[in-house]
Amino acid sequence: MNVSWHNIKAIILRELRIIRKRPIYIMGSVVTMAFCSIFFLSFFKDGLPHDLPIAVVDYDNSSLSRSFAQQLNSTQLGKVIKYDTFKEAREDLQKGKITSICVIPEGMYANVSANRRPEFTFYINSEYFVGGALAYKDILTMVNLANGAVQREVLRAKGLTENEIIGRIQPIQTDIHEIGNQYTNYGYYLVNILLPGMLEMTVIIILIYSLGAELKYGTSRHLLKTSGGSMLTALIGKLIVYTVLFSAIGLIMIILLYHWMHFPINGSIWNMFIDVILMILASEGVAIFIIGLLPIPRLALSIGALYSILGFSLSGFTLPIETMPPYIQGLAVAFPLRHYYLFYCQEVIFGAGFAGWWQEVIHMLVFLLLPLSVMARLRKAYILQNFPKN
Amino acid sequence: MKRNSYIGIWFRDFMDIFKHEMHLIFTDAGVMIIFFLAGLAYPLLYNLIYLNGLLEDTPIAVVDNSDCAESRRFINEIDATRECRIAYHCISMNEAEKLMQERKVNGIIYFPEDFGKKLNRLQTATVSLYTDMSSFLYYKNALLGTNMVMLHEIGKIQIERYAAMGYSGQEASQIVQAIPYEDNNPYNNAFSYRFFLVSAILFIIIQQTMFYGMSLLVGTAREENRSFATLPDKLEGNGIGRVILGRGMAYWLIYMGIGIYIALIVPAIFGFPQKGSYIDMIILVTIFVTDCVMFSEACSSLITKRESVFVLFLFMSVVCLFLTGTSWPVFSFPRFWKIFSYIFPTTFGCRGFININAAGGNLWTIHDQIIILTIQTIVYYCISYISIYIENWLIKHKKEIKETKTRLAAKAGIDLEEDKIIIAGKSDEN
Repeated sequence: MNVSWHNIKAIILRELRIIRKRPIYIMGSVVTMAFCSIFFLSFFKDGLPHDLPIAVVDYDNSSLSRSFAQQLNSTQLGKVIKYDTFKEAREDLQKGKITSICVIPEGMYANVSANRRPEFTFYINSEYFVGGALAYKDILTMVNLANGAVQREVLRAKGLTENEIIGRIQPIQTDIHEIGNQYTNYGYYLVNILLPGMLEMTVIIILIYSLGAELKYGTSRHLLKTSGGSMLTALIGKLIVYTVLFSAIGLIMIILLYHWMHFPINGSIWNMFIDVILMILASEGVAIFIIGLLPIPRLALSIGALYSILGFSLSGFTLPIETMPPYIQGLAVAFPLRHYYLFYCQEVIFGAGFAGWWQEVIHMLVFLLLPLSVMARLRKAYILQNFPKN
Repeated sequence: MKRNSYIGIWFRDFMDIFKHEMHLIFTDAGVMIIFFLAGLAYPLLYNLIYLNGLLEDTPIAVVDNSDCAESRRFINEIDATRECRIAYHCISMNEAEKLMQERKVNGIIYFPEDFGKKLNRLQTATVSLYTDMSSFLYYKNALLGTNMVMLHEIGKIQIERYAAMGYSGQEASQIVQAIPYEDNNPYNNAFSYRFFLVSAILFIIIQQTMFYGMSLLVGTAREENRSFATLPDKLEGNGIGRVILGRGMAYWLIYMGIGIYIALIVPAIFGFPQKGSYIDMIILVTIFVTDCVMFSEACSSLITKRESVFVLFLFMSVVCLFLTGTSWPVFSFPRFWKIFSYIFPTTFGCRGFININAAGGNLWTIHDQIIILTIQTIVYYCISYISIYIENWLIKHKKEIKETKTRLAAKAGIDLEEDKIIIAGKSDEN
């Protein structure tokens, strides 16, 4: 097969003409990514939720219970809503209108004063996950602080100094260092992988569509004629156009995240450029593989859609891979996003550099071998056009 | 059947359209893949992926510079929690950092040299925790494990110290914990990732597969120069209602089957909490599926090409997942996206499903969601009605529109014929 620059140029010009005439290519890539960027960045702009509604059912109505409610209300996470009865609060908890319920039993103040240890109970709804988990953390903190306050009063009455009191109330403290996201910002955590995931999806779908459209509109023979009969030339020409388009989107995305939005990054933004371009190339390999195996545009697109949606779960950035059943864990390596994520961990979280992520580079480059296995098949389909067109 | 009464004719047209649509669905391989492969297999696949749903025994490295009895007890207790596992004892922080970077551990616990001394001096001793934030679950586990052990240790040490001061037994525990507490997490006891996430995904599968499948058919019809909105010939311009309902009926029947499978059978297979009653769930599924049918009919009228729905709208599945509010709380939605979320049936369908299934609610619990779903159904019916009306007007006035277009193009100096050749790619045939 002879690959000539002249033919490649012809293919590139032909592809640009198609993109210009069919708005779907730009709609599906640039507009989609722009919408997703705006959506995710504005959706998580708070970083950490605040003012989560926490119900307080106060059966005690004492100065202690009121001050507890006020203190809970003044935390950044919580916003107290008072209920008269537990039943009303419970119904709203089931409706998901509140994240949690604190029940202050009758006579709590009197019992605390008399050392009778009244029991404080709280309920959380963690089916609404982040809200429930954060409310749990908030209430737990406040109860422990309330306990500390009671203890301090007792110790003060015994005549201990403040220094001695602190040592007794809190013999051990933890200081926490969150490596890679010291703000515990959900936006940083999720958008870092969600946007590249969207990009992976876009690459796969657009490329399958582009290669499938040649079959669908019966233009594949013209494509091969333009390329001088060489499948490789045709693919190289097409890939140059799309790689430039997607790389531009990918680089803008990286600059958007780590430069304009100031997402924390321990390593270098230049290495993330390498990461995103490798992911785009790997995804292109997958797309060609799918359309080559199934040269029927509708089936290839359905399979591509099902595949790329799974990529989000199997990258393991929300629920780590090691919790999944072993036969699913093996599947994860078949998704470029998984390798993008592992690369990202090394570069963005730990700043480990080449020593940390060189293996992922190899893994992503392996995806480039996929098209070779189906090229003859795709060429045959392009020449014979013997598959259903739709 | 009544012969020629209005109802009789209505019903006959309705049945014809219904049968025609059924025929279209079952003879199209693409739609069959979306409806039956995705609709039936995806719920199972997602359940398998999230089968455990819990991260346990996160590996932690320990750097113990104090090497005292208290630190050793602390370490053993952390190892004993469900959340954490002590994987390595390291000599120095450098060694631990390297393990973390190699991802052999997801957290480091560091005891400074003075840990034991400070405890003996009745001062506050510090433990440092370093966590890997690449997934929040690592952070959650390391934090929860350490905090629980810390609270437990604090209680123990305090009791010892008060004993030294002369308080013991009941008296000491009265001071240490004046207000004991009890936490209840009734709907998702272990903070399982599976229950909240898969619950939301299940209903999104219903809406999205239906929308994609229907759009495929609408796009095909348009490509073949038919229209999804063709009315029965005998009634000029009338009968839009029976077209919408007749087509909808085909999807409704298929999706009542898939919907009940997804909402009742899949959760039963995978041991989800099913605290609500079956009747309530079936009512919710009925309302939700009806809404999805109308939503899909309204939205798919925008689709002009068969495959374009995947290229243009695939990303909406992920957006819909976040708009359900099961992960990021609704209370923190920016105002615009909160309003935006009212477009989708899943926003309310998922919440209804969770509130019945996990929280054990009844129809009263989800009456807000039911009302909104019903309003959506009516609105989307009206939008479908309008879009079919416009479509028919366009079909009837095709000639006039074409003439106007040619006239305008001639004025602007555009050659429409050449445009068409380039777009359809027919010039490339020779």
